[in-house]
Amino acid sequence: MSRTKEKLGNFTQLDAPKYEDVLQCMRCGFCLPTCPTFALTGRERSSPRGRVALARAVAEQKLEFTDAVKQEAFFCLDCRACTTACPSGVRAGEVMEICRSQSHQQVPLGHVGNSFRKFILQRMLPDPELMERSMLPARLYQRLGIQWLVRHSKALKLGPAWMEKAEGMLPELKAPLRPQLPVITEAVGEKRGRIGFFLGCVMTLMYPDVSRQTVRVLAYQGFDVVTPRATKCCGAPHLSEGDRQTARELALFNLDLFLQADVDYIVTDCAGCGAALKEYEELLDGETEHERLASFRAKVRDVSEFLTEVGLRTGGLKPVQKSVTYHEPCHLCHAQSISRQPRDLIQQIPGVELREMEEASWCCGSAATWGLKFSEESRQVLDRKLDNVRKTEAEILVTANPGCQLQLAWGVRERDLPVQVLHIMELLGEATP
Amino acid sequence: MISKTAIEQLIEKLGAENVASEKEDLLVLGYDSTPGIHCLPEVAVYPTSREGVLAAMEIAGREGLPIVPRGSGTGLSGGSVPVKGGMVLCLNRMNRILEIDEENLTATCEAGVITLDLFNATAARGLFYPPDPGSQKISTLGGNVMEDAGGLRGLKYGVTRDYVMALQCVLPDGSLLTTGGKSVKDVAGYAFKDLLVGSEGTLGIITEITVKLIPPPQAKRTILAYFDDIRAAGEAVSKIIAAKIIPSTMEIMDKATINCVEDYVKIGLPRQMAALLLIEVDGHPAMVEEDAQKVDLILRQVKAAQIHIAKDAEEAGKLAAARRTALSALARVSPTTLLEDATVPRSMLAETFAEIERLTAKYKLTVGTFGHAGDGNLHPTVLCDERNAEEMQRAHAFYDDLYDKVLAWGGTVSGEHGIGLAKKEYLARQIGAGGVKVMKRIKNAFDPKGMLNPGKIFSDDDPSTQSQVEEGFCVSH
Ligand SMILES: Cc1cc2nc3c(=O)[nH]c(=O)nc-3n(C[C@H](O)[C@H](O)[C@H](O)COP(=O)(O)OP(=O)(O)OC[C@H]3O[C@@H](n4cnc5c(N)ncnc54)[C@H](O)[C@@H]3O)c2cc1C
Ligand code: SF4
Ligand code: SF4
Repeated sequence: MSRTKEKLGNFTQLDAPKYEDVLQCMRCGFCLPTCPTFALTGRERSSPRGRVALARAVAEQKLEFTDAVKQEAFFCLDCRACTTACPSGVRAGEVMEICRSQSHQQVPLGHVGNSFRKFILQRMLPDPELMERSMLPARLYQRLGIQWLVRHSKALKLGPAWMEKAEGMLPELKAPLRPQLPVITEAVGEKRGRIGFFLGCVMTLMYPDVSRQTVRVLAYQGFDVVTPRATKCCGAPHLSEGDRQTARELALFNLDLFLQADVDYIVTDCAGCGAALKEYEELLDGETEHERLASFRAKVRDVSEFLTEVGLRTGGLKPVQKSVTYHEPCHLCHAQSISRQPRDLIQQIPGVELREMEEASWCCGSAATWGLKFSEESRQVLDRKLDNVRKTEAEILVTANPGCQLQLAWGVRERDLPVQVLHIMELLGEATP
Repeated sequence: MISKTAIEQLIEKLGAENVASEKEDLLVLGYDSTPGIHCLPEVAVYPTSREGVLAAMEIAGREGLPIVPRGSGTGLSGGSVPVKGGMVLCLNRMNRILEIDEENLTATCEAGVITLDLFNATAARGLFYPPDPGSQKISTLGGNVMEDAGGLRGLKYGVTRDYVMALQCVLPDGSLLTTGGKSVKDVAGYAFKDLLVGSEGTLGIITEITVKLIPPPQAKRTILAYFDDIRAAGEAVSKIIAAKIIPSTMEIMDKATINCVEDYVKIGLPRQMAALLLIEVDGHPAMVEEDAQKVDLILRQVKAAQIHIAKDAEEAGKLAAARRTALSALARVSPTTLLEDATVPRSMLAETFAEIERLTAKYKLTVGTFGHAGDGNLHPTVLCDERNAEEMQRAHAFYDDLYDKVLAWGGTVSGEHGIGLAKKEYLARQIGAGGVKVMKRIKNAFDPKGMLNPGKIFSDDDPSTQSQVEEGFCVSH
C-alpha cells in the first residue's frame, strides 16, 4: 500500500490508497457493529464501510479530497476492529491511515501549525536523546511538562478539554530507561537464545519500570537480551499522523540496526511498536532488498506472542493470588491477531484467576492522540470499557500497550475504581523470582 | 433540488444531528450491499420517533422529493438505493425494543432494531425469535420485514413473515395504519399486514413491529457432512426431507465458498471437498437423538465423504457463524460478487447444481455457490470484476439461462432478497405482464403520487429506472 505508480483519481501520487483495496469492499456491513465511531454516531460516513466508500469516491473522482474526508480519516481510531470483522479482507483502518498522509498533502495546516508538527514528528521523535532532554523538565516539574504540551497543542490539533485530561493522565515520571538498561542482559539458567529488545519511546519515557520487568522476565526465561542504545522511534506516531516519509526513514534505520545485531528474535512489549515493526515490510516495499525485509519480519514478535511460542518456563514462578481481567489492545488483537497468547500467559501464572470481561477487544478510546483530540468521544468509549471492567470485579486490569495503560489508569483514577492497572509484563514480573 | 428552507424545516423538526445534507454524508447513503449500484440522494434524515417520520414525509411531499426508507443498507437487490435521488429516510436510530410480552409471547420494537439484538433480548427472557438472516448482526427488523428475510433456520421455523403479528406504519399521504395485533387470529378485512411484508418500502414506512416469539428448543445437534460431489449433497437434502425429517438448518457451501470462508475463519474446514452441508436438528432431546441418527444414515447412503458432529454448542456456534460470512468471504477473491437468489422445489436441488456447473463451464466464469439448501434457496455467486464489461455480460447471460430453468421447474427468481432494482426484468418474466399490472394498481392505491421508493420492483417506463449495472451516479440534482 505504500506508493502507487499512477495517480489515482483525486488522490495525489505519493502514498495513496490502492484502488484494489477500496474496491474489495462489498458493502456487507459486517464491520458496522464493531466500529467504535459508528457506535458513537450511528452515522454511515463514520463507519468502516462509509469510510472506504469515501475513499473510493475520491479515487473515482466523484468527490474531491475534502475537509470532511480528512475529518473522517482523523476521527477513525485506527483501532482495526473492522479488519478483524471483515470477511472480505478489507482494511478500512489502514486505508484511513493512508488518507491521513493525503490530508497533509491536500489540506495543509497553517504555517505555524505545520512547523510545530514537523518539529515534533521530524526532529523530536526521531532523536531519542533530544526527547529525553525535553522530557527532563517534565520529570522535574510535572506541571512544566504540561506547559510543554500547551505550547505544542496547536500542532497536535488537540480538542478543547485535552489539557485537564493530559495532566491527569501523565504517570509519575521517572528517569528514562534507555540510558540505564545494559546493552546486553544475560540469560538466567540454561540459555535458549538471543533476542533483540525493541524499547519503544513511550515505554522508556513513561513506563521505564514496565520495560525493566520485561527484560528481567525475558532473561529469566533463558534469553540473552540485547537492547541497542541507538534504537529510534518505530514510526507509529508518524504513520498515525500521516507522515509516512519520516516513518520510512526511521524504519530503515531500525531495520539496519536490528539486522546487524544478529539476534534470533526481535521482541517488543509495546503493541503499537509491534504492529508498526510488522508493517515495515509493506512500508519499505521497494526501498531495500526484499530478503532483508522478510528476514526482519520473520523475527518480530510481541512479547506475549514470543513467550507463548517458545513456551513459558513456569518452574520457580511465585504465585500471585489475584483475580485478573484482560483488556486487549487494538494494536495487538486487531492489528497483529494476537488474542489467545496473553490469556495463555496470564493463566500460566500460578494463583492467578482470569475473569473475562465483555467486549474485551473493544477499543479503550486512547488510540494515540485521538483521546486528546476527541476528548468527549474518548470518554464515552472509555466509559463503555470501564463498565465492562467493573462488572468482572477483578482486582487487576491487565493490558499490553502503554497507550491503553495511560488511558485505563487515568479512567480508573477518575472513577475511583478499586482495580490496579498493570502491563502483562508487570504481572509476570511479579511472579518472576 | 431540495430547497434551503426545506432543510431548515427538517432541522427544526428533527434536530440538526438528525439531518444530513453534506455530500460526504449523502454519498455513503446511496448504496446497499448490491454490487454496481450507487446513487446520490439530496438529503438524509434520521428520525427518532414516528412523529419525526411523519414530519419528514410531510416536508418531502411538499418538496416533491421521492422518499427512500433505509434500515442498515444490507439489502441485496438495491431496495434502499435512492435511484431517483430525493430523501433517504434512515430508520437505524429508531432502535428501541419497546416490550417483551411473556403472557402473549410477543415482542414489540421500533423498526430500526437490529435483528440479533432482538434475538438476544428475547433469549435473555427464555424466548426465541427464529428468523436469522446471514446479516442478523447488522440488518434491521424493518428491513427484514420489508424483504421478508429468511435465514439459516428457515427450513423448520419459516421466514420473517411467519412471525410478524402487527405493523404500525405511515402511508405516503401521512395517514397512520396499524394492522394486525397480538391476537393469534385476525380475519378482519384485507390482510394488509401480509401485503406490507415483502413490499420493499414501496407502500409505507414501517415504524413499529410486533413479532411472535416461541419457546426455544430444548436440545440441538449440529452435523457437518462433506462430499466429493456437490450433487450428492443435493441428493442428501432431498432424501432427508423425503424421510420426513425437518432439520432446523440445512445449509450448503461449495468448494469455492469453503475455501474463501476458511481463509477468513481458519477453523480447519477441508479445502479439497466439493461441498459441505451444515445440518442442525433441534427439539425434544429424544427426538433430536432419533433425527440425528436418521440423518446420519441417509448421509452414509448418499456416500458423504465425512460426517462430523459438533462436540458442543460453542463449536456449533462457530460453524453457523462461519456459514454466515460466506457471501462476504467470497468477495475476497474478486472486486465484484454478483449473487443470485434462485429458489427451486427441493426435489430439484441436484439438477440445479448440475445446471450451475454446466453454465459455469459454458460461460467460463468463476462461481461460488452457497445457500439455504433445505429451503431449495441457492445463491450462485459470480466472482467477477465490474470493470470488465465483457465478463459482466457473460455473468448476466449465465443468470438469464439459469432463471429459464429455475422458472421452468416451478421455482422463483427471488427466495428472500427481493426484486428491488436488480431483478425487475426477471420478475416480469416470472409473473407476466398481467401480474406486474396488478402490482402497480396496488402500489397506486397506497401511493398515488409515487413518492415512496420509486423505481423499485417494477419500472414505471422511465429509462432512468432500468437496472443500474454501470457504476456512476445515476441520478442527482
Ligand atoms: C452478508 C449478507 C448476508 C445476508 N443474508 C441474508 C439471509 O440469510 N437471508 C435474507 O433473507 N437476506 C440476507 N441478506 C440480505 C439483507 O440482509 C436482508 O434483505 C435484510 O432484511 C435487509 O435489512 P436492512 O436493515 O439492511 O434493510 P435495507 O437494505 O436498508 O432495506 C431493505 C428494503 O427495505 C426497505 N426498508 C427498510 N426499512 C424500512 C422501514 N422501516 N419501512 C419501510 N421500508 C423499509 C428499504 O427501502 C429496502 O427496500 C444478507 C445480506 C448480506 C450483506
Ligand atoms: S469493509 Fe468488509 S465488512 Fe465492512 S462493509 Fe466492506 S466488505 Fe463488509
Ligand atoms: S479502524 Fe476502528 S474506528 Fe476506524 S473504521 Fe475501523 S473500526 Fe472504525
